[in-house]
Amino acid sequence: MTGTELQMLLSGAWTTVWISAIAIVGGVPLGLVLGLGRVAGIPVLSQLLALYISIGRATPLVTLVLLLFVGLPVVGINIDAVTAGVLTLLLNTATFNAEIWRSVYQSFPRGQIEAAQAVGMQKGAIFRRIMLPQMSVAALPGLMNEATLLVKASPAIAVIGIVDLTRVTDRISARTYEPLPPIIAAGIIYMIIIAGMVRLQRVLEKRAAKWSA
Amino acid sequence: MDWDLITNSILFNPAEWEIVLNEWPRFMRGFSNTLTLFAVSVVGAFLLGAVIVNLMASRNPSVRAAGRVYVDGMRMLPFLIFAYLLYYGLPSLGIRMSAWTAGLLGLILYHAAYVAEILRGAWSQLPAGQTEAARAMGFHGPQLFLRIVLPQLVLGSAPILGNQLIYMLKDTAFLMIITVQDLTYAANSVQSMYFVPLQPFIVAIGLYWISTLAIEGLVFLVGRFARKRGLGRA
Amino acid sequence: MPDAVPALEARHISKTFGELEVLRDISLVVNPGDTISVLGPSGSGKSTMLRCLNFLETPDRGQVLLAGEPVGRRADGRLVSDKELAKSRARMGMVFQSFNLWPHFTVLQNVIEAPTKVLGLSKDEAVARAEGLLAKVGLADKRDVYPFALSGGQKQRVAIARALCMKPDVLLFDEPTSALDPELVGEVLAVMRDLAKEGMTMVVVTHEMGFARDVCDEVVFMDRGVVVEHAPPAEFFGNPKTERAQRFLSRYA
Ligand SMILES: Nc1ncnc2c1ncn2[C@@H]1O[C@H](COP(=O)(O)OP(=O)(O)O)[C@@H](O)[C@H]1O
Ligand SMILES: [Mg+2]
Repeated sequence: MTGTELQMLLSGAWTTVWISAIAIVGGVPLGLVLGLGRVAGIPVLSQLLALYISIGRATPLVTLVLLLFVGLPVVGINIDAVTAGVLTLLLNTATFNAEIWRSVYQSFPRGQIEAAQAVGMQKGAIFRRIMLPQMSVAALPGLMNEATLLVKASPAIAVIGIVDLTRVTDRISARTYEPLPPIIAAGIIYMIIIAGMVRLQRVLEKRAAKWSA
Repeated sequence: MDWDLITNSILFNPAEWEIVLNEWPRFMRGFSNTLTLFAVSVVGAFLLGAVIVNLMASRNPSVRAAGRVYVDGMRMLPFLIFAYLLYYGLPSLGIRMSAWTAGLLGLILYHAAYVAEILRGAWSQLPAGQTEAARAMGFHGPQLFLRIVLPQLVLGSAPILGNQLIYMLKDTAFLMIITVQDLTYAANSVQSMYFVPLQPFIVAIGLYWISTLAIEGLVFLVGRFARKRGLGRA
Repeated sequence: MPDAVPALEARHISKTFGELEVLRDISLVVNPGDTISVLGPSGSGKSTMLRCLNFLETPDRGQVLLAGEPVGRRADGRLVSDKELAKSRARMGMVFQSFNLWPHFTVLQNVIEAPTKVLGLSKDEAVARAEGLLAKVGLADKRDVYPFALSGGQKQRVAIARALCMKPDVLLFDEPTSALDPELVGEVLAVMRDLAKEGMTMVVVTHEMGFARDVCDEVVFMDRGVVVEHAPPAEFFGNPKTERAQRFLSRYA
């Protein structure tokens, strides 16, 4: 591989990183909203969300990205490949995050909420001041794990022509007629990204849990 | 978003559903390919995973390290790049496989690492005294593992293994990118042949969803059985 | 002052959980400055009664009055808004069996959270108040420690300081020493004893017979969801009128 090809590889890596990053950063709060909506006990909404999450968990990303990219224009939403890719990853990761948030919400100790009610705090303040900080720490390992799964599933967006770190290996081998080196190089870059995320997770966990023994 | 457009002319457009209906055999071929890939790779990944977890428990440190490197390495890779390696990369080394073979082999090798890691986690929870008791009764080697240890690992980690099964089902869809004719491939062909962009994917997602519900149901039954035997998480 | 307005009053409270009738027509009067202990076998409804006073449980029937003003329900029986209920609760402190400190806050943050966020005190004011209270419960040196590093007795004293920092009109205690190792019970009871002496109005659900006998102005004995006896401690312990109270005392006292 020459310098040009190395540059292509790195630009593919950058595409993977920024698209995944947007989906991860957006998917955490969106998952929170979906997860809380699911347990809010609002009659039709909660059931619809449960159905949406169940289907979302079962849908392969390749299938979803095709549905959005090919299907949305037909219903009057014009969408380019990159937007479809980001949206796919975002929707997918949000459904998994919703389940993580839901489970930490449901296992939150009742007594702490009662203590807050007893001193006259209201729902919003209890959620923001007491629950959310602790829920975030409890959800962190699951959310980070989901984030690494997202990066590993992100090559699905290659199917609609986005030149990410996986698809760029096609482009490179079309020039060099040697597919093995770019594939191995891409594999190594993925490993570095994932290893970096696992490391970040350890650092965050250590920093976040200063209050627990 | 134009809801009238969606409801009247697209989702409930009988002509477009008729196309899907006419192409039903194609969907069924794709679906049966998906299920075949899934079933074979589940069995393969499970057997290989059971072997690898034994490597990771070996007394020989270099065997142990090899098992670890394999498992951690796979778990840092996307499935698709690994499938690329087998299908597009290996021919440079003179190893040529059909897309189907490469895909199937990829699923097995890749998910075996995840299965091994799950089993290892469950194994570390087993009380050590138990295998010692079995040893004292004359069990050893593969017999000890297969009859005493493995059943407990499987029952004890049923929910996590179940999740892994769902990931395996979904990973089969990646293989359409290397031209394997699975369910998503079938949906995409119908879509591009007739330009009915929504219905084929909705049908495909429906079939994936039903399969997932079936897997979850099965896992639930196994979990209940395990709890009756006093294994696994309550 | 026999016709002064009671600090806290419950009138004809009833509560059922599904089929189970947990409280039946409970009435209770707590005069300002009094310490009332609530005794009774476990499962008799003491916690539920206490939790109905600040509407952590919503009573099915009956009224709660705080200094004569209705809590939780308006006179017409409709439930009050979240905001209004919070205002009433801010005037009643509660101390739980399991402490329920907020683990992500330091001791000081636990104590000043509600005064700053609910009462709107400035941080400086709240900290000054909190430091005084922490000194009073003997934990001045723990202000920047997280709860996990405290013993059970220390946690409960922080919880008391947290409740006091709101300057409540009434303090409710639900078995505050039951989760403590025996050697830590004394330090918590000592704090409560001081509060009683200073004229704090308190309702204390407890199994500490010594505390009930020596510190309280009145004993309420509950069994199976009803108030069976209601008497000054000397009378209740010296000469219990009902057979149920006699049986209870022979077992616990
Ligand atoms: N949230 C609840 N749901 C159903 N039953 C409850 C609930 N809380 C308490 N109970 C029942 O009400 C009865 C009285 O409980 P409690 O007030 O805690 O008694 P005590 O504090 O005197 O031990 C018990 O039988 C208990 O099981
Ligand atoms: Mg109780």
